[in-house]
Amino acid sequence: MAPGRKGRIIRRTITISLAVALSLAMEIGGYLATPAAERAEVSYSTLHAIVPLVFAACAGVAWHIGPARTPARLMIAFVVLWIPQSVYRIIGEWEWVWPIVRGVDLAWAVIAGILVLVYPKGRLSGRFERTIAAIALVSFLVNLVVVVLFAGPEANPCDCAPNAYRIGEAPALFAAVDLGYRVVGGALALVIAGRLLVRWMRASVPARTVAFLMPVALLAWALTLAAQAVNYATAAEDGVLATVSLVAIASIPVSFDAGIAHARNMRARVADLMRITREGADRGLWAESLARTLRDDSVRVYWWDEAKGRYADAAGTPITDEDADPRHGHGVLPVASPLGAPIALIRHDRVLTDNMRLLDGVSSALRLSVDNGRLRSEIERTLEQVRLSRQRIVEAGVEARRRIERDLHDGAQQHLVSLGMRLRLAANAARDAGQAGLAEDLEQTITTLNQALRELRELAHGIHPSLLSSGGLALAVPEVAGRCPVPVDVDVQAEGRLPEIIESTAYFVLAEALANVAKHSRATRAWVRANVVGDELVLEVRDNGVGGASVDAGTGMLGIADRIDAVGGTITVSSPPGAGTTIIMRIPLDG
Amino acid sequence: MNDASPLRVAIADDALLLREGIAKVLESGGLDVVASVGTGDELVRLVRDGGIDAAVLDIRMPPTHRDEGIVALEQIRASGSEIGVLLLSMYATPEYALRVMQTGSGTGYLLKERVSEPETLVRAIETVAGGGSVVDPEVVEQLVKRSRADDPISRLTERERSVLELMAQGYSNGGIAQTLFLGLKTVETHVRSILQKLDLEESPEHHRRVLAVLTLLGER
Repeated sequence: MAPGRKGRIIRRTITISLAVALSLAMEIGGYLATPAAERAEVSYSTLHAIVPLVFAACAGVAWHIGPARTPARLMIAFVVLWIPQSVYRIIGEWEWVWPIVRGVDLAWAVIAGILVLVYPKGRLSGRFERTIAAIALVSFLVNLVVVVLFAGPEANPCDCAPNAYRIGEAPALFAAVDLGYRVVGGALALVIAGRLLVRWMRASVPARTVAFLMPVALLAWALTLAAQAVNYATAAEDGVLATVSLVAIASIPVSFDAGIAHARNMRARVADLMRITREGADRGLWAESLARTLRDDSVRVYWWDEAKGRYADAAGTPITDEDADPRHGHGVLPVASPLGAPIALIRHDRVLTDNMRLLDGVSSALRLSVDNGRLRSEIERTLEQVRLSRQRIVEAGVEARRRIERDLHDGAQQHLVSLGMRLRLAANAARDAGQAGLAEDLEQTITTLNQALRELRELAHGIHPSLLSSGGLALAVPEVAGRCPVPVDVDVQAEGRLPEIIESTAYFVLAEALANVAKHSRATRAWVRANVVGDELVLEVRDNGVGGASVDAGTGMLGIADRIDAVGGTITVSSPPGAGTTIIMRIPLDG
Repeated sequence: MNDASPLRVAIADDALLLREGIAKVLESGGLDVVASVGTGDELVRLVRDGGIDAAVLDIRMPPTHRDEGIVALEQIRASGSEIGVLLLSMYATPEYALRVMQTGSGTGYLLKERVSEPETLVRAIETVAGGGSVVDPEVVEQLVKRSRADDPISRLTERERSVLELMAQGYSNGGIAQTLFLGLKTVETHVRSILQKLDLEESPEHHRRVLAVLTLLGER
């Protein structure tokens, strides 16, 4: 635990303890100071003393779980300002104390009202809330000033000493302000409760669970407060009403904490949403998860359709004007990418608007989800492009080899053959003409030419064996195996012809593998198998050599792996030292 | 074969230059070049029309430049014609040679560059026209060079191997005797010994002997 956090907890504990001690002192001291005959019933007194204790406990909880510090501070203030009437039995003697206490002895109601107003964010967010709070505060200050300056003996809650601050006598003003203060307080409480209640009733079922206790508690309290104001005015007394009032007041901080705890729980579900997002949910599932997270079945997610320039749901149905307009009893949360491009519109219950952190979490999750999805599809698209382009390169390579071989065959080779023929005719003519020396020279030239032809033939064959074009693997594989200095057993089971790129790839990887066998394996036997199994061409090259080959080791093996990879195939090399090498390559026939 | 009436030969090759050159070589060798065409199909039609004793065919011709020559040969044989057919190829490919030999007697397979050896070319045409078989020595060399495990060729003596190579090229016993400056009897002894060592049946028919030897070499 960080030292700062520890210090904070100690400070808070001390604050709460002091407030509770003060409150108990007032309650108990007042009770004891009141003559037995005038004491309120024990049950009422006890209940009255419990109310601040509930607030103190809730302050502790709110401090721990709440998003802001204000609610807990308000609750502590309530504990201190919850002043029993019996306290005047103690402080009545002190003429410079009791008028002030008398002036603030309804401040707890203001505090409770503000506490309700700051629910659930911990601050006054709307104009309505700020207006109400301002009215309450002004009323409180006016009342405080009037009480302190004008409270006379007739306003004494007890047999107190004369008001030390009194500047004149204005009983009418005093009475009017005193009563007006209570009436305004009651009215404000009713307004707050009424508004919360209307909002609660308009809300969807899940939203009601968010703010379930608060309006009920507040309404009960407001009603009792209003009734108290009436009672005060009519100087009547109602024990039952007083008891209900106490219970209602005590339920306010409890409701507050319950609401915050509920919101916290929602945030935990947003974390779940993030998890779903990370796993790459599709749009339908995402909207479903969101509705579950927010406990709001009315949630709709409309995705931005760039092509059509509008929002539409996962099924493609465009958003209605009513859904897009936040004035129709629901909230609308636009989600945009960091660059400002629209991503989606979330239509949700208006009550959720109070929970900005929750909505922030939701929009972050959505943004992440879309970003993830976009990145994923971008990567997939890029990979596919790379794969296709590599295949095109390989195909172009095969085609180029075939063309070069054919150009050699139809061009240079033909010409050289033709040249040889002419030289022969010339040599014969020279011999017939008795020019034996010239004939000899020409025949030498023919021999050299034939040597060149032979080399050219080998070169052309290496570029692209004509046998592969005409006879496929069935002819070309035995031929290439026959060129290997190591004896090779060949087994080719490939009925008919395969696509050119596959035949060509297979031929060259087998040629390369056999070249490796000849160069590195020191084998005395090798086996080559090529057969079509299902929709794959399976190639196997095995030898009884020294082993120890791997794809990473030599360029030969890497070249084989590259060629196989380019046509979407796989290669496995098994080459334990001293136990020969087996290469198995699989090439899908459908490309 | 009659000295008074020279062999009537048709040539099929898509390269005009070679076609003309081959015609010149053959004519200077005493053959009568009666037709010269650019595709296998045209040659097949010519042969069907008759009046031809032998054909010289390039293997790679339009339209696919793969094995049109061999296809034409197969069509000629399928039509019942027994004229001599000599295939010319830029490559000494044993697999082609075997395929050519499998169409029956009176066929030959030579490297194209043999056109600069008029005697070889003319003799090959005369051989196939007479129902004999011709295989390019380089093809045979390649086959013999192929290394196989448990190679039966390794059981042959040096002399027997030379005889075998000539057998594969289509030489008759007489031809072998002439080429190697041996007596006919000696050659016959060698041939018997070779056939025995290679587990080949002695066939009275010359072409079947060539095919058997080639097949053995190819399948080792």
